[in-house]
Amino acid sequence: MIVIKTNNLSKQFRVYEKPAGLIGSFKSLFNNKFKDIHAVENINLEIHQGEIVGFLGPNGAGKTTTLKMLSGLLFPTNGNATVLGYVPWERPIEFRKAFSLVMGQKSQLWWDLPASDSFELHKEIYKIDPVKFKKNVGELTEIFQVDNLLNKPVRELSLGERMKLELIASLLHDPKLLLLDEPTIGLDVVAQSAMHRCLYEFNQTRKITILLTSHYMRDVETLCSRILVISGGKMVYDGQLQGLKDEFGKEKLIKIQFKNLVPDQVFSKFEQLEITGGIVRLRVSKNDVPSVLAVVSQCEEVLDISIEDPPIEEVIEKLFVSHRSKTL
Amino acid sequence: MLRHLRLMFCFAKFSLLGELAFRSNFLLKILVELIWLGILLTFFKTIFGKSSNVAGWNEHEFLFFVGAYYALEGFVETFFLENCVEFSELVRSGNLDFCLLKPIDPQFFITLRRVDWSTAPKILLGFIMISFAMYEIGKPLELWKVPLFLILFLCGCSLAYSFLLLLTSLSVWMIRNQSLMEVWWLFTNLMRYPRQIYDSEWALPIRMVFGFIIPALLAVSIPVEFAVKEINIEFTLFLFVIAIVYFQLSRMFFNYSLKYYRSASS
Amino acid sequence: MNKYFNIARLSLKERLTYRGDFLFSSFLRFLPMITSILLWKSVYSSSEQESLSGFSFKQVIAYLLLVNISRMFSSMPGLATNLARDVREGSIKKYLLQPIDLIGYLMSYRIAHKAAYISTSLVPYMILFGSCASFFDTFPTPVGCAYFILSLMLAFVIGFYFEVCLGMLSFWILEVTSLLYVVTTLSFFLSGHLIPLDLLDTTGWLDVLKNLPFAYLAYFPAAVFLQKITDEELFFRFFVGVLWALFFFLLSKVILYFGLRKYSAYGA
Repeated sequence: MIVIKTNNLSKQFRVYEKPAGLIGSFKSLFNNKFKDIHAVENINLEIHQGEIVGFLGPNGAGKTTTLKMLSGLLFPTNGNATVLGYVPWERPIEFRKAFSLVMGQKSQLWWDLPASDSFELHKEIYKIDPVKFKKNVGELTEIFQVDNLLNKPVRELSLGERMKLELIASLLHDPKLLLLDEPTIGLDVVAQSAMHRCLYEFNQTRKITILLTSHYMRDVETLCSRILVISGGKMVYDGQLQGLKDEFGKEKLIKIQFKNLVPDQVFSKFEQLEITGGIVRLRVSKNDVPSVLAVVSQCEEVLDISIEDPPIEEVIEKLFVSHRSKTL
Repeated sequence: MLRHLRLMFCFAKFSLLGELAFRSNFLLKILVELIWLGILLTFFKTIFGKSSNVAGWNEHEFLFFVGAYYALEGFVETFFLENCVEFSELVRSGNLDFCLLKPIDPQFFITLRRVDWSTAPKILLGFIMISFAMYEIGKPLELWKVPLFLILFLCGCSLAYSFLLLLTSLSVWMIRNQSLMEVWWLFTNLMRYPRQIYDSEWALPIRMVFGFIIPALLAVSIPVEFAVKEINIEFTLFLFVIAIVYFQLSRMFFNYSLKYYRSASS
Repeated sequence: MNKYFNIARLSLKERLTYRGDFLFSSFLRFLPMITSILLWKSVYSSSEQESLSGFSFKQVIAYLLLVNISRMFSSMPGLATNLARDVREGSIKKYLLQPIDLIGYLMSYRIAHKAAYISTSLVPYMILFGSCASFFDTFPTPVGCAYFILSLMLAFVIGFYFEVCLGMLSFWILEVTSLLYVVTTLSFFLSGHLIPLDLLDTTGWLDVLKNLPFAYLAYFPAAVFLQKITDEELFFRFFVGVLWALFFFLLSKVILYFGLRKYSAYGA
């Protein structure tokens, strides 16, 4: 079943310019200049039920704008989309009941009240059946392991604890689609991992579709089978994470450890990232790996050798750069 | 309808729980309201110490007016004012998005989601003043007038709410809540005294603008006149109709502003 | 001086940034004044007396206009709340590390802020006073003007140190904000902002009210301008005012001293 389908989805913004200086301020009392910015251009995508899709891109690439259009908060300037069979920006009540949007930096819970009270209010707003509500709260608090936090005022919780409760609140009404905007921002590694585990478990048991944006590659690597990359408002990649690595990961990182100092000059024809004492780190193209190994085999007292893919951050960085140079 | 009542009950309940988390703060806020009442009554006593009537209203009638005004102000402050002031903050921070995602009417949710319990005693005190003034007048309110007075009073509240909503909607374009408060204060200023004080010849433009076009002068005056002075049928009907018209108008404008927000924000 | 000029310029710019606001608020000052004029007009016409507690109708209106000038000098928006926040969040320490006197710094900042505020409000106020010129029968002599200016200075100084004291209470009281509401509300009435204090003679509290520090925030400069205070009394009034200024000045120093001691004791 297709959950999200967009067709040339585009959004332009009008930005007003305020001239600098005191005289400028006076001038802007009477007229405003503006320019149009293309935040999102011709996005085409199709997401199926049960997928966890990662949405990557630098700041200002158009991720949040896209999410807002998909959740019906923004009107597109062009193109169309169907989400769960509805046109999102018409905002029918049934549509609003069928999905959830969670933003990492914003809170929907009442600050001074325990989360259980916010849940209660949520139940009324979403007209959740009391039996189902009780069952969902029970299940979710168990998955997220937060039963001891439900009765503490939200303002006394840590960010990680709060995010878990935010997620629970957003899942209480059994949404079929979960849109997450930077859900792990500001969380420490332990809290991030917990979040990953919970989201994964929930996705497996309920077949909920998840689209998440993130800055952290860890989120995407552990959770998402498929990723979308957006840059300058345009979609530049849509496919498997491994595919991205294959396409752009045509290089390998090699680390060689010697018992004594690294021999002089031996690796000078390869790109050397670092030489410290007995360790050398190289970046070479895939095809050059055999010749590096050939060189190593002639050296004495090699303690260890490892060959790795470059980190995904680097791969995506390259993707952005190549995309930008193509458009310029 | 029933669902909305249930929701309002929830909003009220959780607001109260939230307020009680800071009990001393809550009590101080109530104290402020009591001080205000004291100021209002002292001012009132001072004026009537100097003169036996003001613009054709004697002391007891005027006290009735002050009570009705105080209750109306309390009503708007308890249910709407804080929410409306917070609206510009919602726009600025982008938290308005969450309000729009909820599967309920945005206007209902945004303007009612918090109840300011610290001003609720004003409604009660206002009605106590009204009852006391009634007792002083010595002529009990006819029974048939009571429900009609309450309806007219609610029309006044609705009118005030509609003005507030119109102003609130403007926050989408000019983001700052300070001027919202200033304009709201201006409205309360126009509602605070009987409309007869504007009967001077040179105040005619004010009487026309704020008596007919933006009828702030009528919000408290007409219900109170209905109860304790001669009934002016034309104005009474006018208040009833204009309250409905303004409610619809403000609702349309609010939805328009949300639509603008959804096409312009980033 | 250059530094303060820049602060002033920035705050003027800030005001202009929200153009809707700026045009709005200058226009808004007029309506409440008209309401007061009309209310007092009907009070005077039905009382059938020329003057109430020594104030003629025109003088009451002139008084209510002048009170705005007093408040322009004595009100300190944000001073106490910001100070309370700085204390609570500990950022007050940044002032203590720098080689400047905290209260002196706040004072010079406030003067610059006031200068900017007064200069931007000048035009709307000139229009307001110009259109209400008929309510002013007499204008003070040059000496009277000098007294008026002095009384405005006094209003500023008392207003400033009073707010500083309030703000620094947050060394001991966690939530000063709501306490501030109480004080602001009381001060609105006790300062004579709403009604000339003389009209409260029926309450029997007039002598007390005139000697409270609040009276100097609004009532006193207006009364000086309208020559409501006899020459013999004037010096006494100024004397009491200066005493209050000194009192709050010293009090703020004492509070700061003990507040900081408490601070360092907690190691906050």
